[in-house]
Amino acid sequence: MRAKGNSWNEYQKFIADDDYYYGRSCIRQNFFPGSEKAFLDIMHNDLGKNFYDDPKHSSCTGIGYHSDVVPLETTMTVVARQFSLMNESGLENFTTSCITSFGIYTEILETWKEFPETEEKTRENLYKATGREFTIPKCMAHTSDVMYHFRGEIGARAKHRLINVQTGEPLKVVDHIGCHYAKIFPKAGVGGSEFPYVLAGMVEEWGGECVDYPERRHCCGFGFRNYLVQANRGYSIANSHKKLESMAPYKPDFIVANCPGCSMFLDRWQYTIAEMEGTTYGENGHGIPVLTYEEMAGLVLGYDPWALGMQMHQVDVEPLLDKMGIEYDPAAKYLGRNGKYIGKPASAVVNCAPVDTIYDMKQ
Amino acid sequence: MKRVAIIGGGVAGMQTALHLQAQGIDPVIIEKESELGGKLRGWHVLFPTFTPAQEILIALRSKINQQNIEVRTSTEVKSFTSKSVTLSTGETLACDSVVMSTGFTLFDARIKEEYGYGIYDNVYTSVDIERMLNEGKVAMKDGSRPKRIAFLHCVGSRDEKVGQHHCSKVCCVTGVKQAMEMKKLFPDADVFNFYMDIRMFGPGYEEMYRKAQIKYNIHFVRGRISEASETFEGRIQIKAEDTLTGRPLRMSVDMLVLLVGMRANDDNSSLAASAGLLQSPSGFMQPRDLFLNNMKSNTDGIFYAGAITSPKNIGETLNEATTAADAVCQYLSE
Amino acid sequence: MKDVRMREGLHACMNCGVCTAVCPAAEFYEYDPREIVNTVQTRDDDAIEALLKSDTIWYCGECMSCRPRCPRGNAPGYVIQSLRTLSQKLGFFVESEKGRQQLALKRTVGDNILRTGYCLVPKGIDPDLHPEQGTVWRWIFDHDNDVYEQFTPCYRKEGAGALRKIDQQSMDELHRIFEVSGGREMFDTIERYSDKKAREMGYENGADDEYMMDVFCKNSNEHY
Repeated sequence: MRAKGNSWNEYQKFIADDDYYYGRSCIRQNFFPGSEKAFLDIMHNDLGKNFYDDPKHSSCTGIGYHSDVVPLETTMTVVARQFSLMNESGLENFTTSCITSFGIYTEILETWKEFPETEEKTRENLYKATGREFTIPKCMAHTSDVMYHFRGEIGARAKHRLINVQTGEPLKVVDHIGCHYAKIFPKAGVGGSEFPYVLAGMVEEWGGECVDYPERRHCCGFGFRNYLVQANRGYSIANSHKKLESMAPYKPDFIVANCPGCSMFLDRWQYTIAEMEGTTYGENGHGIPVLTYEEMAGLVLGYDPWALGMQMHQVDVEPLLDKMGIEYDPAAKYLGRNGKYIGKPASAVVNCAPVDTIYDMKQ
Repeated sequence: MKRVAIIGGGVAGMQTALHLQAQGIDPVIIEKESELGGKLRGWHVLFPTFTPAQEILIALRSKINQQNIEVRTSTEVKSFTSKSVTLSTGETLACDSVVMSTGFTLFDARIKEEYGYGIYDNVYTSVDIERMLNEGKVAMKDGSRPKRIAFLHCVGSRDEKVGQHHCSKVCCVTGVKQAMEMKKLFPDADVFNFYMDIRMFGPGYEEMYRKAQIKYNIHFVRGRISEASETFEGRIQIKAEDTLTGRPLRMSVDMLVLLVGMRANDDNSSLAASAGLLQSPSGFMQPRDLFLNNMKSNTDGIFYAGAITSPKNIGETLNEATTAADAVCQYLSE
Repeated sequence: MKDVRMREGLHACMNCGVCTAVCPAAEFYEYDPREIVNTVQTRDDDAIEALLKSDTIWYCGECMSCRPRCPRGNAPGYVIQSLRTLSQKLGFFVESEKGRQQLALKRTVGDNILRTGYCLVPKGIDPDLHPEQGTVWRWIFDHDNDVYEQFTPCYRKEGAGALRKIDQQSMDELHRIFEVSGGREMFDTIERYSDKKAREMGYENGADDEYMMDVFCKNSNEHY
């Protein structure tokens, strides 16, 4: 469908070929630590690229900023410190593994451009607080931009394609972009805000087909304070529900999300909806697997799904692995470090029983 | 005999030529297309009277023929001054004055990506509807009869995001006209107009709007559509706010019609530069003033007629062409 | 107003409604971002003060879906952000149920940042307070070392990798940034006004854990 409207061609951004400062994500490292590992492994080991994983950087404070407890001036100064750390490492390109952070960085860079006095004030604050100075990165990329940039190289090394090995048909993929990728500054995102191409480009390159559905652009439902405060979570699940209902008729084989928050919410709210109403959106009573793009790339490159951390999802990914013809050890799914047995998650409606049977074999 | 070059052979150019000829001046019309008529050639009937566009076109063209006015079609102008016009072939035409009547460019609806024009089958522009009416076949992409149709006003007008701050003036009444035509073709269909303001500035327009409501039961919703997407069944889902009730609204329609606005021609700037002319911020040419000299450019001997200076309807364009011809005569007699 | 987000976010609104049309909060709550922008542009001080004390400004999810659509280049989301900042500075946020929740956000996300350098950490996502996180999350939560150490060499330890403990010098820098740039002051302001309000509402010990849990969990269900 994207091929029909080539407007994404008009939104191409500068994405550097190598030498990045890598900014981790609070949400991604919490829920998808295997994805951050996979990203660096793919870049280092498969593509031979230089990414610096700096122990010194902190959260960008983005979730605090969008919960309105951290003031803009503070977030700007924290961001300035990350830039200073990047300068210290001798790098000029910044990539972040979080859409909220990416939105924050983009917004701040644009604000400094538009209102230079705010950049001055930030320099003053940073110097006063830390004695640091900074220069602005040459390239500001989300990690999915980088993955998109190398989609051809990854495709050339593919062990598996996004194709149903039984039918030979392309897998149907819902690509969910995450509001802060391009809605704040459409030109900051590959493909712009209306027809973002950053994930679709990977999906198409690796053999799959993207599904366009009416609520494609709708928010996953995070809504910051609307999830973070328990009393408000009705907002969050209602918006996820709207998206899931809208995509269900297209029978997507999986969802791939740009933003770690969206990946988590689209996964967890399927669980909650199944528990509350008994509704599941995938085949045979399963949920629709929700992948990060690092996991998608990892599967394509032949990484073991459990090494990618896909056991940390609530919705089982096995139906997708089977479609792609990926071999995996069902019994190893819920093992801890060094193959240690650490019990297994309780079964849930969305998991539709097989988890128990798989695990009982090992016991 | 004085000679006047008229750049652009649409309604404005033809009318200017006829009035100059009547006053003993020798006009030459330079038209880049292969025939005269400009944008009117693509139109079906005109608001508010439902007069066929062909009637006006035929009348003007046949007079041009009868008067033996020199017409150079398929000819593009590269640059000009008040005394000469240089064509893209390199040929130069000497003249005593120039009238610029190159009109406007239709806004390309694909630029408003959120409406999916060119991507979703059942999203159309007002121009598509005129063409379909002329071809005698209005239908959804798959040939079936629409049961619900939405018109969206201000596509490419009053929109900073696409660099078009101005009001295109004629889309409001076009929306009402086309809604009525659709209702005539599909009496059982629900027809909606999504608007911000209904600007019924011309004679008979307000009456037409009223008739659309009373006689045709066309629904008017005060809210701009925010996005369109295709549903599983191939219909178009739209989201807007009904701002009069303050509630978000989502509905599926069979056809979404985008009322595309009028924007300044891209070559206005190069032509303006060659002749030392001023453009207004909208990109349209800027007349000397908006009152007594509204058909004169800031350069002596160069005049404007029609939508080259701002969006206008056909009646206004014809009147302005007459005024421009008078101003040229006065200039040449001085 | 000096807030750059107000300058960037509000030029002149013509009330077209494209923002509300795609607003997730407008679909869920009795909420209309267009009306907020319209109120702000009237510059009617009484109406704006009422807004700052209302639940209304706290419904927005800051998804910014409104921003790319506005034909006047406004961003209602930015306007909301600056209103929220102002409501907290002036202490008006405690006058509404949704506004009072800022204390919960400060004590979770805000305190996390100053304690760990992250907005969230696994041990902060208690399955009992987050039942929607599911059975797999409970398993992860209960076996965090064994799960995370498969993916990071430094789970809660210093080093490079996911969920590392951030070194003391970096934490000190972060704290000083909060001191210098107003972050600490905002946190203190939220605490101060919340404590005062809690006492007014009959919580004898002010904004204690009981008050905090009440603002975190209770919903009057009067928002729809």
